[in-house]
Amino acid sequence: MTTTSAPARRERPRIGSHAFLMLLLAAFLAPVAWALLSAFKPANDIIRSPLTFDPTTFNLDNYTAMLQDVPIGQGFLNTAVVLLLKGAVTMFFAPLAAFAFAKYRFRGQNLAFGAVLITLMLPTIVLIIPLLLEMKTLGWVNTYQALVLPGAVDAFAIFWMRQVISAVPDELLDAARVDGCGEFGIFWRVVVPVIRPGLAGLAVLTIMNIYNDFVWPVVAASSERMATLQVVLSTLAQNITGNRIGADYATVTGELLAASSVALIPLLVLFILLQRHFINGILAGSVKG
Amino acid sequence: MTALPAARAAAAPPEPRRKRRHGGTRLRRRLAPYVFVAPFLAVFLAFSVYPLFFTARLSFTNWRGTGAAEWVGWDNYTYLLSNPAFWSSLGNSAVLWLLIVPVQMVVGVLIAVLLNNAKLKLRGLYRVAFIVPFVTPLVAVAQIWVVLFDGRYGAVNALLGVFGVPEVGWLTTSAWAKPTLALLFLWKTTGFIVIILLSGLQSIDGAIYEAAELDGASKRRQLWSITVPLLRRTIMFAVVLQTLAVFQMFAEPFVVTQGGPYGSTTTAGYYLYNHITRADLGTGAANSFLLVVLVMALSLGFVRLLRAKD
Amino acid sequence: MQRHHLRRRALLASAGLAAAAPALAACGPDITSGDDSDESRLLKAPGGDNPEGEITIWDRSGDLFEVFEGVIAEFNAAYPGIKVNHVAVDIDAKLQNTLITGADVPDGVFLDDAKVGGFTDYLWDLSDVLAPYAADIAPQKLDVNTVDGGVYGVPFDLDPGLLFYNATALEAAGIDVAAIETYDDLLQAARDYQAAVPGSAPIHLEQSAFLGQLQLEMYANQLGTSIADADGNLRLDTPEFERILTFLDTVRQEGLGTRAEYLTPTDIAELDNGNQVFYPWAIWFSFAPQQVLTETSGDWRATQLPAWDAGGARSGAMGGSSFVLPRDGANADLAWLFYEFLMFDEAGYTAVWGPGDVYPEGLATSIPSYTPAADPAKPLYGEITALGGQDLWTVATEAGAEIPGGTPTPTWWTGAVDYLGNDVQRMLDGDLTPQEVLAKSSEDIQTNLVDRQ
Repeated sequence: MTTTSAPARRERPRIGSHAFLMLLLAAFLAPVAWALLSAFKPANDIIRSPLTFDPTTFNLDNYTAMLQDVPIGQGFLNTAVVLLLKGAVTMFFAPLAAFAFAKYRFRGQNLAFGAVLITLMLPTIVLIIPLLLEMKTLGWVNTYQALVLPGAVDAFAIFWMRQVISAVPDELLDAARVDGCGEFGIFWRVVVPVIRPGLAGLAVLTIMNIYNDFVWPVVAASSERMATLQVVLSTLAQNITGNRIGADYATVTGELLAASSVALIPLLVLFILLQRHFINGILAGSVKG
Repeated sequence: MTALPAARAAAAPPEPRRKRRHGGTRLRRRLAPYVFVAPFLAVFLAFSVYPLFFTARLSFTNWRGTGAAEWVGWDNYTYLLSNPAFWSSLGNSAVLWLLIVPVQMVVGVLIAVLLNNAKLKLRGLYRVAFIVPFVTPLVAVAQIWVVLFDGRYGAVNALLGVFGVPEVGWLTTSAWAKPTLALLFLWKTTGFIVIILLSGLQSIDGAIYEAAELDGASKRRQLWSITVPLLRRTIMFAVVLQTLAVFQMFAEPFVVTQGGPYGSTTTAGYYLYNHITRADLGTGAANSFLLVVLVMALSLGFVRLLRAKD
Repeated sequence: MQRHHLRRRALLASAGLAAAAPALAACGPDITSGDDSDESRLLKAPGGDNPEGEITIWDRSGDLFEVFEGVIAEFNAAYPGIKVNHVAVDIDAKLQNTLITGADVPDGVFLDDAKVGGFTDYLWDLSDVLAPYAADIAPQKLDVNTVDGGVYGVPFDLDPGLLFYNATALEAAGIDVAAIETYDDLLQAARDYQAAVPGSAPIHLEQSAFLGQLQLEMYANQLGTSIADADGNLRLDTPEFERILTFLDTVRQEGLGTRAEYLTPTDIAELDNGNQVFYPWAIWFSFAPQQVLTETSGDWRATQLPAWDAGGARSGAMGGSSFVLPRDGANADLAWLFYEFLMFDEAGYTAVWGPGDVYPEGLATSIPSYTPAADPAKPLYGEITALGGQDLWTVATEAGAEIPGGTPTPTWWTGAVDYLGNDVQRMLDGDLTPQEVLAKSSEDIQTNLVDRQ
């Protein structure tokens, strides 16, 4: 919070506001808390009595069953690889493109920015089949390339970083130029340090998006060895939503809640540690009135 | 906005210190933006444009994923446009939009305004709490929803039962499935929208409120005549963002309702997926194109709306 | 303001680009290839005495995966050279995409019979390899795997429809199940039970559109019909289907049915509390008393279904699965050996259906579709504790022998769930009459599925 001139003048909020916020707080946290706690309950109780929590019955059965049935370790590994590769590509090339859009005037700029907007507007599901066939042509099915490259330079990241970089004073760039800095040097040594809060926010958002992405990975990673964490979760969930002939609803629900908790916790911890950067980062990219 | 005059001034290059390198620097400066956007454009051409062209061609065939494709002209398009199920998928998306976007904006602005108050206790806690759902994996959320909203054993019905509300088939009746899905979407994304709105609030000059206070304007009055108008651009940005998200919605019905009951949660995106699961790829491609055109038209419409008020 | 202009022009430019796409559509992956001659589609068994190689086999996760996992050792005793890579896969989500891309295609896949028709373009025609066994396979199972004269699946289980009933509860209410011979008798028994146990809703009414349609086909199979004939022509709007729907609608109107999705929490609770005592379902319902029901396990029994007319067939098939062999699989011929062993070799089918780790009393959720294996005199499993020690094998094999053939599954069967499956549910909601369901579904299926093949 660098400039909070507006709030400073406000008076203490009234009871009503507190009650409103507290109520919302409960509504926002309850489902997640419920899932984290329920994962420790006997599988049958999760479904039959979802609101009772008897600590004496808590156990790790759902976790052991899940670890036995689900390749969650492999999922974590694949997610980590994709996160590293795709994250790095987006974190470097999106701000770079955004820099060009924010600080240069060049022929074809509108068309190029149109490409950013088009990408934002394209529903993932529209591209699934043609992309899949493209992966087939390239021989990329069940490879990390297929998981990383489509959508690697995230359009929303460019859009957002363009806002952030626009706020960097041109005088700063010109001064660097006068000092003999090359164009890339300006980006790397002037722009990047200045927009660091924004980049931190982008990093959190990017990690979150990649970590939680599942529509494309489900399609592109059909083999178990390439399954990301979300694919593993989705496969498990399919045992419930598909025909449940021979799959025990309660057991699978228990396993799914255990697996979901395991998947959620790293991200939650990361987020709580970095939330200041994330929120400040988005604030840095404010769409000003 | 303030940066723009400076940007124009910068278009005229500053006096270079070393005349010798003048030409090279200028050329490099002209070429630089192209190099900078090239990686994005390469990905865009390879993984958006190329598949789109392929989709376009596919949409005029009856290809089923294997064997030879037969050219069928506009048949897939006329089939879709004359099919009530196609229109009802658009209708479902529109209803979801109505259930989601206005609510989200009203609640979002209220929360953002409250959180913008530096004297609010637990401010940090609220900001984190509201965004927790946004961080939670959708697949996990979906299963939470299915269990919590179960018609017989669900926690939601159990809670409402305390107040004497009879059992509601949240996910099993076509009347309630859409609101239940909308609630999931609201729960999951409102925190993010609040942060965006907060960012807009931060740029409003506090002096305006002080002046209003001196004029004796009530809090509610200030909200309506100062905050909302000044926040209009941010709100419109959020509206466009969420409109795109709602009309692209696929994953939520996929994991929670599989488009049911009776197709009541078959969104535009999910309807398209139905063709794919039946290997009717030609119709799927035609549907893709219609959906892309619709989403673009909506975005253009909102941007126009945004401009008209400027 | 300049930035607004930029964004707007960019938007317009992007719209223009999209509009130009169809004109440029000439480029794209090749979608006009493939050798489709009949000869190349016929799978041949491998030669040689000790074939070697690795096969990838996909199974749905759950009990059957574990059962097949246990049989691999037996298979390797017979074929030491073949390594089986057995994976649990979300088949519904993965198979289609895998077949389209042709990458990492498995050699054999476990698939619902109702879904086989939708994939035949990608599958080996097994007419040749199955020829020696065809005469001994239940006719209904060959029918569901036959499309345009080709056979596309190795038939796995036969799933005779049975009437499962809560013997303890019915006895307490003074109902004699042995006297139920027709569906009219079943209605009367349900009325009597309801009179004895007020508030009960004795007959299961399926609420899942997919399983409801599957059950509808079971009833139709009993009458020797199905939603489409061998040429793929609809035969839905017929007296047979009207009769079945009228029965279901009567159950609804008289309040005799418990409406729930198969073995969801609500269903389980109503089974366990004695409200729901009649479950006309495929033999795989026996999974419930064996592994899901807690209060009433041991109270359940199975008998043949009622007939539609006295003396009519007492069973029809419901569901079931087969093994399909994708043409892009590297070692489909070796996978055939695997399935041949599992289904047609005594050591194989004994290992599948006999007592094992997963089902200590045997795989009592189905019977073999290979008649020599489904011999009433040579049971692969016997008394089932969860069914009060009933000899399910005899009941099931006798019922299996009653199942009429002549009921093929059209390629679009799964797609029909959106129309027929949903309309049946609307009827059970009280929003459509049986006649309306048949007229509406027929028209919708014709326009959206049959005409668009």
